[in-house]
Amino acid sequence: MDLSAKVYTPEQVASMLQLSKNTIYDLISRGEIIAKRIGKVYRIPAKSLSFVFEGLDYDLYLAEQEDLKNLPKIKKSLSKTRSKLWLKKSRSS
Amino acid sequence: MAQKIKVFVDSDVIISSQISNLGAAYFLLNETDLQLYISNLSLVELIDVGKKLKIETRRLVSLVKKRFNQVNLKENSRELKRQFNDYTKDPEDIHVVAGATLAGVDFLLTYNMKDYKIDKIKRDFNLICLRPAQLLQYLRSL
Repeated sequence: MDLSAKVYTPEQVASMLQLSKNTIYDLISRGEIIAKRIGKVYRIPAKSLSFVFEGLDYDLYLAEQEDLKNLPKIKKSLSKTRSKLWLKKSRSS
Repeated sequence: MAQKIKVFVDSDVIISSQISNLGAAYFLLNETDLQLYISNLSLVELIDVGKKLKIETRRLVSLVKKRFNQVNLKENSRELKRQFNDYTKDPEDIHVVAGATLAGVDFLLTYNMKDYKIDKIKRDFNLICLRPAQLLQYLRSL
């Protein structure tokens, strides 16, 4: 999913996390959930809730995406190597 | 001192850590609360893959010496297959499960989850398969 695309209200986030609305405001005031205050209301970007969507904090989500970019070439090389080594071992045993 | 968490690291994770220092694999290998393991067979394939991807052999060997404990798989290929064939979808991944069980680790780290029968591995060896970022997330919860 595109974590940068969407924002949520504190009420929506309370429902998603199964917490009270007051707890969400408390988490916002403590900086545990990063929100944007617009006038008198708050909006919470999806990337602040990365854990809800991805099971990972946002920095870990980004770190994983960094590895995933390189993974196809790694898998291809590893697969070739394993075929070669296992073929050799199967023949010798 | 708290006991370190024992982790067997699949070769795709180690190679990832050598390609980018911004990725989860790199962060994980620099996590000092972990005791990392590979097998002798993993080291052989690491060097071969490293050559294909232009990663210096010297650099890989030095990383393994500095950061990893090594377990030696002595069984022949047929014996490994007999013991561990039911734990992977691809027979070429058998040595990874074999190495992890020999090392007696708590976690097996891989980017290749789909090829391991993770429920069966958990049930029979009490061994949890995770991606690097998932283990880092777990460490934050301790």
